Amino acid sequence: MANAGNEIAFKKETVAKLLTRSFKEDRTKVSSDAVILVAEMLKVFVEEATRRAVKQANSEDCDTIDIEHFEKILPQLLLDF
Amino acid sequence: MKMDEDEAQKQRLKAAVHYTVGSLCQHIAADCEKQITKQTIAAIAETAFRQCDIFAKDLEAFARHAKRNTVTVDDVKLTARRTTALHNYIQQKSEELALNNQELKEKRKKNAAKRKSKDMEAEEENEVED
Repeated sequence: MANAGNEIAFKKETVAKLLTRSFKEDRTKVSSDAVILVAEMLKVFVEEATRRAVKQANSEDCDTIDIEHFEKILPQLLLDF
Repeated sequence: MKMDEDEAQKQRLKAAVHYTVGSLCQHIAADCEKQITKQTIAAIAETAFRQCDIFAKDLEAFARHAKRNTVTVDDVKLTARRTTALHNYIQQKSEELALNNQELKEKRKKNAAKRKSKDMEAEEENEVED
């Protein structure tokens, strides 16, 4: 899995907040390292989504990635994650 | 009202996600010499935001199953189980993290030792090791 722009990443603070607000129980916490890994997962998710949409656009001979391209690859993307 | 604060925080988080997603998408699109519409970026951002919610609930369930209150790296690895490539990538990242933590620990030990001993000899020894 190629890395797009190693400098671009989800902020630890953002990911931590995203996770904790989704937890069902108040006492559930998340370790610092786990937050970093989830940030990586999200980054891979976004990269995969984009690269698959690019492939789809390519297969349709389009220069612009349109929402339909994303929509076509979305089902498989969700299944793969 | 608590609901409004909640909603406000949600919007802030969505905006933060959207910002990073936008940067990532533009970077990849440029790499592939393609344009990407704002609408597409927004859709990817929304999907990522929702995917994070799914991750969070899974992670909580795994931690709970292991009778823990704190979500750990092992729980994250479990969420990456569906695709081998993804699983291997996360495994690799977790090993890098562990290595990093180890190096940080050793650096701190070294620094603490340096400060304690005002010996010139000890300092030279440390320089040679690097």
